[in-house]
Amino acid sequence: MQAVLFGLLVGGVYALASSGLTLIFGVMRIVNLTHGAVLVAGAFLTYTICTATGLDPFVTIPVVGAVLFCLGWLIHRLVVQRAEHGGEGTVILSTLALAMVLEGVTILIWGQEPHTVATSYSRTSFRLGDLVFPTTQVYGSACALVLLAALYVLLNRTWLGRAVRAATANPQGAELVGIRVERVNVAAFSLGVALTGAAGAILAVLSPFTPDSGEQWIGLGLAIVVLGGMGSLGGALIGALVLGVAETLTATYGSPGWATAMPFAVIVLTLLLRPQGIFGIRVREDVVSA
Amino acid sequence: MTIDRRSFLIGASLLSLTTACGSSGSSSSSLKIGASLPLTGPAADVADPGYKGYQVWQSQINARGGLLGRKVEFVIHDDGFDQNTVVSNYNRLITQDRVDLLIGTFSSFLNLAASTVADRNRMLYIEPSGGAAEIFTRGHTRLFFSQPGTTDSAHRPFAGYVEGLADKPASAAYLYQDDPSTDMPIQNLQKVLEGLGVKTVYQQKYPPDTKNFDAIANAIRQAGPALLAHGALEVDGVAVVQALQRVGFTPQHLYQTRAPSSVNTYPKGIGETNTEAIFTVGSWHPAAKYPGNAEFVADYRKQFNQEPSEDAANSYTAVQVLQAGVQAVGKLDQDAIAAWLHANTVNTIVGPLKWDARGVPDGSLLLMQWQRGKLEVVAPASAATVTSAIAAKPSWAA
Repeated sequence: MQAVLFGLLVGGVYALASSGLTLIFGVMRIVNLTHGAVLVAGAFLTYTICTATGLDPFVTIPVVGAVLFCLGWLIHRLVVQRAEHGGEGTVILSTLALAMVLEGVTILIWGQEPHTVATSYSRTSFRLGDLVFPTTQVYGSACALVLLAALYVLLNRTWLGRAVRAATANPQGAELVGIRVERVNVAAFSLGVALTGAAGAILAVLSPFTPDSGEQWIGLGLAIVVLGGMGSLGGALIGALVLGVAETLTATYGSPGWATAMPFAVIVLTLLLRPQGIFGIRVREDVVSA
Repeated sequence: MTIDRRSFLIGASLLSLTTACGSSGSSSSSLKIGASLPLTGPAADVADPGYKGYQVWQSQINARGGLLGRKVEFVIHDDGFDQNTVVSNYNRLITQDRVDLLIGTFSSFLNLAASTVADRNRMLYIEPSGGAAEIFTRGHTRLFFSQPGTTDSAHRPFAGYVEGLADKPASAAYLYQDDPSTDMPIQNLQKVLEGLGVKTVYQQKYPPDTKNFDAIANAIRQAGPALLAHGALEVDGVAVVQALQRVGFTPQHLYQTRAPSSVNTYPKGIGETNTEAIFTVGSWHPAAKYPGNAEFVADYRKQFNQEPSEDAANSYTAVQVLQAGVQAVGKLDQDAIAAWLHANTVNTIVGPLKWDARGVPDGSLLLMQWQRGKLEVVAPASAATVTSAIAAKPSWAA
């Protein structure tokens, strides 16, 4: 029971961490390989703000999100938009190269040493009988779910959300009804990067991090997106919870080695057995892009 | 997919910029010492202070007129903690950069491959870290380990401490990262403690990229050991303690390899008061009275505005050994330097070092413990900075 609880708590944060990846893929059909580097940038930014101001790390999420939104806008304008002319492969390689640059910049600013964001409740837990609810995990998971709910409302209750969904489903059709798909792409990309940065702010509280910590999150993020269904926000949530629980159960009753290999096994198995993922829909490409 | 001319030029410019950043400039009169370091990747936090240790020595030796009358220059390449890259980097140092001397890298994982390249090219190879037993069983005669003990003997100081306890722990948990420098010391310790009647209640190995330790910490809590021995490198040492704090379990005795030696980051990561009574084993201590140690600590602080770590001291020791050999022989004859090192004792900041035919030092590592916010030497008595060890670990503070 405790292992399932840990899995659900960490799964909530995994969901937020992968939501940016799935949003960007859903709208633009590109795999953003700066994902891990952005996540770590969010963590380091949180560290700097908390150290300088003494603010609670969860309070810094709006600031970190805003800064990372601007970074996302810059990345799209300077790299993604220009690389798009070369096709999806060029975009993916460009984001990979940019991830390396971002890691290098992070090293230059914050150094190689491990960093930790400590709070007054970092080492405390709520208890219910023999069950332990680590305070930071509970707060982190709650914050992640609130942000995911806000994203859901944004995508389903606002004009921007409708435009994003329209551009996702049929870019040419969206253009025909007056939606400027290029602007939607910029907004979606920046929002995706902001969400990833916000997840970095939460992860900064949960475990120590170094500039290269982002590499560990690429595999996990992709596994969640593939399992849930590429581009599906609900799928990312379910996929993240499933992977979180599977990871902790494996580490508890099996081997931590299998737990770290699990995301990659999930990618392979999902692509073989159900390529569209849990919530993905098989689409007729000839109709969509006609 | 096509690549236009502008993209090609940008890519080519970035590539040449990256290459330029990977090595320092050179001048024909300088004496070049080459190394490949994992400046990026999972061991970057270890390599960074290691590189700084080399730089402190470089500043000192150049201020004194250099080595053999030539200014010393380091040629450093980044290998990203990749065995293939470290091999190509050392080949490049020898064949393209044409360095005069090599110096070792960090971790057994990389030194195992890098030392093979050095041996094939009949070059001296002094390694600042990488004490795994398999490194010393290949018949290399120009290989020297510049710490006072290897991975094979790393368990002895703490095992000796437990053996000397009147009230021995009844049970123990063993957790270690899948790495040659962390698994063997813990497995050896387990064998010794089981021989002393300490019951094993939990044992687990985890891969280097493990990021979530909550499930492991909870399993340890449920096993309830009196002693936890953790084979950690750096970040994982902090992460496991944080997870133990979250599940509210404090073992009576906590022993971790490596991580607690990081005096700049470890206390911040787990909370300064929570370091109390945590044991570790190490090769070096900033207060050790060995010749040159105080000067190294002072110069490191001055140059980098931070406290030197054990990794920095280890790389500094490696170049001290190299310097001693070169100055004694008076020329860059790799075989002659190796022969001299095999026959003599070198005074370093980790104490006097003397090696057997395999390049294994005959010294012993230090047993250290965090006491009142400082990392103190508990044993051996000749190097101790405190009179006794704290027997029981206090509970984690909030």
